[in-house]
Amino acid sequence: MIRAGARGAVAVFRDQYAELMRSAFLIDLQYRASIAIWLIWGITEPIISLGIWWTIAAAGAVGGYSREAFAQYFFGVALVNQATLSWDAWNIDRWIREGEMNYRLTRPIAPIHEAIADNIAYKGPTATIILTAWIVASVFWPAVRIPFEPGRWALAIVAIVLAAAIRFLNGYATGLLAFWTTRATALVELQFGISLFLSGRIAPLSLLPPRVAHVAGYLWFPYVLSFPVQVLTGTVTTTAQYVRGFAGQLIWLAIWLMLYLLVWTRGRRHYGAVGG
Amino acid sequence: MMSIRRTATVLRAFWQLNWLEELQYRGNFIASLLGTVFWLLMAILTAALYFQHTSTLGGWAFWDVVVLLGIFNALAGVVETMLRPGIGHLPADVRSGALDLVLVRPVDAQFYVSFRRLDVWRLADVVLGLALAWYAFVQTGRAISAWELIIFVVTFAVAIAVIYAIWVALMSLAFWFVAVENLAALFDALFEAARYPVSAYPGALRFLFVYLIPIAWTTTIPASALTGRLRPALAFWALAVGIAALGASRLLWRVALERYTSAGG
Repeated sequence: MIRAGARGAVAVFRDQYAELMRSAFLIDLQYRASIAIWLIWGITEPIISLGIWWTIAAAGAVGGYSREAFAQYFFGVALVNQATLSWDAWNIDRWIREGEMNYRLTRPIAPIHEAIADNIAYKGPTATIILTAWIVASVFWPAVRIPFEPGRWALAIVAIVLAAAIRFLNGYATGLLAFWTTRATALVELQFGISLFLSGRIAPLSLLPPRVAHVAGYLWFPYVLSFPVQVLTGTVTTTAQYVRGFAGQLIWLAIWLMLYLLVWTRGRRHYGAVGG
Repeated sequence: MMSIRRTATVLRAFWQLNWLEELQYRGNFIASLLGTVFWLLMAILTAALYFQHTSTLGGWAFWDVVVLLGIFNALAGVVETMLRPGIGHLPADVRSGALDLVLVRPVDAQFYVSFRRLDVWRLADVVLGLALAWYAFVQTGRAISAWELIIFVVTFAVAIAVIYAIWVALMSLAFWFVAVENLAALFDALFEAARYPVSAYPGALRFLFVYLIPIAWTTTIPASALTGRLRPALAFWALAVGIAALGASRLLWRVALERYTSAGG
């Protein structure tokens, strides 16, 4: 491309993305047995939480959640979690520690695009597997059937994509702190621990002490898991709740995007200065 | 017998070197200690959240469950100290052929592979876990007899034996599925189920965790001993299970090793 205009640049970018995604998918295909193990690893936590709440709700609904509502909620958690997983901090840590960042910096495309392509190539197929398992389970187990409402499902897909973007940028930007510290992954784990409660990972937010749930509303945690799950299972009902949820998602997406850009520009300069 | 004694001598030398090496990474000790305290706190808060909405969990009161959480953490500490850095490294050795270097040594290969490395700093997890179990036990207001304490120690040792056997079983899969590099994640997933007493799970899950994959018992039995739930007969059964688990791990190791053809073989 000698005279790559605006359209040409877009086409080149699209081709690069397609190629990155293709190679990421082919690599994943090589490791399908490992991926099956990661899938099992990912669904154990929601299964255990569901098991405990199922036992607790034996005598009747807990905070408005019946056994069936818990079942739908945690199936939703398993699906949304698979679609929004974030492991990039560990990759970045390795890239920087073992020098693999160097050749990535010489490429004409920023490393984050490789990570995005990798995420899409992995999460598309694996989330589909969980969704299929859910559909099969709902044939035999009426408790996990969610009402057929295509409009709301479409909104749920939007919410899940936004959640995946926020959590990706959050994990990636935190991971980039590896330019300065060797313990960036510990910060990701810290956030993960907090997300157990504030994202609604071990219980729907409404079961938390009200003050904790209130604080969570000001952070990004509920928007990356709890909100999409509740849209999907139909516990978000009023327009005000939808507006609040999507507005929260967009605001946090913007904030984490800015934080990523900040850390990336500063970090790259810092890295050059040290390894120079 | 001779070979066991020789292996012990070799291992002692390894552990000494290992210790000197670990001494250089004291910063890791602080980091891993902070991590353990953080995750213990999260686990206790999770249990506290459940108990906001119920007074018992499968017949266990809050402090009984915390006793169990302490034991869970202590056993997780044993895994991190000894099993993950030892037998957990087996799949990588099978893949790279590094197992050759073990097999040609005049030591018991299973023993050597299993106990070759100690991440001593993680012993802090064992201490913290047992301390939490003890603190929670005091909160339950129970008294403990010497006999019950002995049963606790025995069942705790049995739990380690069972967990070890499960690691040998999972890691031996590497002899058949060489390309699978995250077999240890399978253990992590299963072990999560041991965070709560088996009676807290509904029917289908109980069948899975308790009978299909007997992992849940590893914490429930010692915690039952401390909280006065264990019938003496069950303690003897546990002992039998522990011995059987070690025997099975030996047998499995022999069968699995037959498959080994070194890298490229």
